[in-house]
Amino acid sequence: MDVILLFVLIIGLMLLGVPIAIALGLSSTLFLLWFSDTSLASIAQTLYQAMEGHATLLAIPFFILASSFMSTGGVAQRIIRFSIACVGHLPGGLAIAGVFACMMFAALSGSSPATVVAIGSIVIAAMRQVGYSKDFAAGVICNAGTLGILIPPSIVMVVYASATDVSVGRMFLAGVVPGLLAGGMLMVTILFFAIWKGMPREKWQGWAEIWASFRDAFWGLMLIVVIMVGLYGIPGVTKAIFTPTEAAAVAAIWSFIVAIFIYRDMGPLRDGETRIPLWKKPQALVTAFFHPGTRDVLLEAGRLTITLMFIIANALILKHVLTDEQIPQDIAGAMLDAGFGKIMFLVIVNVILLIGGQFMEPSGLILIVAPLVFPIAIELGVDPIHLGVIMVVNMEIGMITPPVGLNLFVTSGVAGMSMMRVVRAALPFLAVLFVFLIIVTYVPWISTWLPTLMMGPEVILR
Amino acid sequence: DPAGCDDGETVVKFSHVTNADKHPKGIAASLFAERVNAEMEGTMCVEVYPNSTLYDDDVLLEAMLQGDVQLGAPSLSKFETFTKVFQIFDLPFMFKNIAAVDEFQASETGQAMKASMERRGLMGLEFWHNGLKQLSANKPLLTPEDAKGLKFRVQPSDVIIAQMEAIGASAQPMAFAEVYGALQTGVVDGQENAWSNIYGQKFYEVQDGTTETNHGVLDYMVVASTDWLDSLDPAVKDQMLTILNEVTTERNAAVNDVDMAARQAILDAGSEIRALDDTQRQAWVDAMKPVWDQFAEGVGQDNIDAAQAINEKH
Amino acid sequence: MSHRYEPRGPLGRFVHGLEENVIAILLGLMTLVTFVNVVMRYVFQSSLIWGLEVTLALFAWLVLLGVSYAVKVNAHLGVDAMINLLPPPARRILALVAGGLCIIYALLLMKGAWDYWAPFAGYQQTGGRWFPTGFIETRDRAFYETEQIPMPGFLAWMGDVFNQGEAYEKMPRLIPYFALPLGVALLLFRLLQAVWMIWTGERASLIVSHEAEDAVEDVSHMNRGD
Ligand code: NA
Ligand code: NA
Repeated sequence: MDVILLFVLIIGLMLLGVPIAIALGLSSTLFLLWFSDTSLASIAQTLYQAMEGHATLLAIPFFILASSFMSTGGVAQRIIRFSIACVGHLPGGLAIAGVFACMMFAALSGSSPATVVAIGSIVIAAMRQVGYSKDFAAGVICNAGTLGILIPPSIVMVVYASATDVSVGRMFLAGVVPGLLAGGMLMVTILFFAIWKGMPREKWQGWAEIWASFRDAFWGLMLIVVIMVGLYGIPGVTKAIFTPTEAAAVAAIWSFIVAIFIYRDMGPLRDGETRIPLWKKPQALVTAFFHPGTRDVLLEAGRLTITLMFIIANALILKHVLTDEQIPQDIAGAMLDAGFGKIMFLVIVNVILLIGGQFMEPSGLILIVAPLVFPIAIELGVDPIHLGVIMVVNMEIGMITPPVGLNLFVTSGVAGMSMMRVVRAALPFLAVLFVFLIIVTYVPWISTWLPTLMMGPEVILR
Repeated sequence: DPAGCDDGETVVKFSHVTNADKHPKGIAASLFAERVNAEMEGTMCVEVYPNSTLYDDDVLLEAMLQGDVQLGAPSLSKFETFTKVFQIFDLPFMFKNIAAVDEFQASETGQAMKASMERRGLMGLEFWHNGLKQLSANKPLLTPEDAKGLKFRVQPSDVIIAQMEAIGASAQPMAFAEVYGALQTGVVDGQENAWSNIYGQKFYEVQDGTTETNHGVLDYMVVASTDWLDSLDPAVKDQMLTILNEVTTERNAAVNDVDMAARQAILDAGSEIRALDDTQRQAWVDAMKPVWDQFAEGVGQDNIDAAQAINEKH
Repeated sequence: MSHRYEPRGPLGRFVHGLEENVIAILLGLMTLVTFVNVVMRYVFQSSLIWGLEVTLALFAWLVLLGVSYAVKVNAHLGVDAMINLLPPPARRILALVAGGLCIIYALLLMKGAWDYWAPFAGYQQTGGRWFPTGFIETRDRAFYETEQIPMPGFLAWMGDVFNQGEAYEKMPRLIPYFALPLGVALLLFRLLQAVWMIWTGERASLIVSHEAEDAVEDVSHMNRGD
């Protein structure tokens, strides 16, 4: 099949040392020119629209910028000190806290790469400081970051719901228990590793250190409160203030203010080792924006944004190929025509999505596959909400398996590790997610219990 | 190939943004493809790309002018960049009901609109109905005062922005994927849409209720590029256009049923729908109608008059 | 990244500073516009109706103008697992092959970027499917405006130049879309430069090499005694 040629080409180019983005883009472009009537202009348009037409991807640059300000401006170090004081002495403590941080963050953000970006740089640095290997740290974050699309809110769930006409609210509720379960399984695995392998830990430093480090990290920790309130509001006081994408921009601005005006670790109020009070240098309110320190943080964040988005944009050219050639439809059609029972059908859906997830970004794949398998699922008596959760979990796994895995790319960029090393690092925890997928597939109750409890039994139309 | 296109057939890509089997536009596009593929075997073959999998409405017309997609049916407001005449459908309370819209589109004025973008390279083929727009928010909306100070997510079009300003509300542009969440948490208070979209996007789940304002039109127009149409064999083109016309007649006649089914499904889900009495409705009309004056020049007073002459009859 | 790019000569330093400032400013503006829109909506019950559209256009500019810079400072991610198994001469040959493929990509994209942008500026597209075979008659799309981005007054001359004298009410699409031909041209230039540097031995590859850094780091880790 032509499509095998395409994938061989992609992998071959990557191994030759062609940048990932160009390997994806060049293979897809050649394929489109050979096999379809798509014009080069249309490919250029796809590249431009990768940014201009995907507003939800904006969370990526904004969160990169926020973590950039946090690590340069001393916010991250203070949070790291606080976390080490709290859990650094427990077996696997920091790694478990890292998973917990990803779960918390997943409840704030609808996207998995954004979760890795926001949590990754801080947690990986913290784990390194206590003595974990970079591989272990990156493997944990890369996997836990995928919870971003399982724990609501989730962009992928919104896409699934609109493609199949199920309730978004139900889908969100359905993600809660599986999200907690997946997070729990990762934590248990870490604990097991920690005890078995004798993972490093710090000495317990006492309550005084917890209190001192908390006071020091207060303004950084407040970011979580600001984002939580902004996204969900306070009942009786205020409605929500911003969307998950906007939250990322607010986080960047907050980190900027805390770094420059409160901690004064960088910017115009920092002079060697001294911190100048704002009242002595009020012009800093303006000069902060043009300070070389600010520029360097923006540049660093911009550079990571550029390399990651260039990959994502070229992955969208690949999506264009698959859509244009109707390849997922062909594969799904061939597999579904065989006429299987319910269990076999779910296995087939898993296989289609796992293969598809190797090469496509989640929302695009869901849009194409969901309408195909949905009617068959309903006929076989599969619950639509359950099917949705299975699909989301498959997407999670797709994000951490090569050759196209957004979380792999983002982790590689954030942790400064080679792709192959991230792949190897993620492997043990990937196995955990696989077990999780099997559980979620065969125990529908995990997905449907909470939505049924909260919203009553589902009415399945058609 | 799932559409079963054979060698020698003219492949026609039809790209749209809704589902393929429940939304009025999706149903019509699928029916058109089914009929062409059955009746024009050997000459023409339609592949439908639903759910924005190929292009969304913002770039569809660009891609069409570029020759990368042959047919599409964007909402009428997307044509306002080509000619302002299309703003007539966004003007609030221009049409009483879908029958009036139908008659206007079939009139000489409406038909002339299809050809109004010819110099830009596009040709309108048929109008497809979706339905009239309703207003929803996180509090009951019975009079325009109820909407004062609220934030409504809208498609950013000049007319809609002016319409929201006229009732003292603010228009908020927002990525479509984030609208549900924003309505749920209260980042924005409300939105306006046709029944099928309110139902399809599940907005009613996170709104206090929907007010049956019928204040605007949300219709589509099937378009193609003039270059592509000219490149077709005249007989093939005629057969395609005949099928398209028959599908249009059939589906437009059924649109009320689809619309009402969506409305009923919202009721069945336990969400409230509020009807307006004559005084309440008049208050909305009085508040919004001044917007007409702002746009009369671009739309053409004669077009507005023609629409109103038809509207009077319904 | 351990070995930072160092510009050479006054022109090199000027261009380098310019590129870095542009990247910083674009990202800063995106963030500010989005933030201001949040404040406008929540505090003033209002909105910059063009806020989202401008932010997205700046996003496209950031990435498209930035890819050439990322080539220059060798920031693009890649897979170096196989290359590192080879002896240096073979590595150099593979790097040249990879570079050639990148240039093919950029050349194809250059044609695509021009063909896409040209009609929006009233210029002609190139003919041919793979290679430009000269200019062909193209229907003018210069009338095509953005959805809501306002047209700044100082650009009023563009109506005369591009739109047959008709004034633009909104910013024409030819402005944001210009990021494509400009960005791809710069990418092509930087790729040619990089391949030349690989040829002369000044540069090893087109992708950021983490393996070497990892090795150094692993050793330093051991030296710390844990
Ligand atoms: Na989430
Ligand atoms: Na993958």
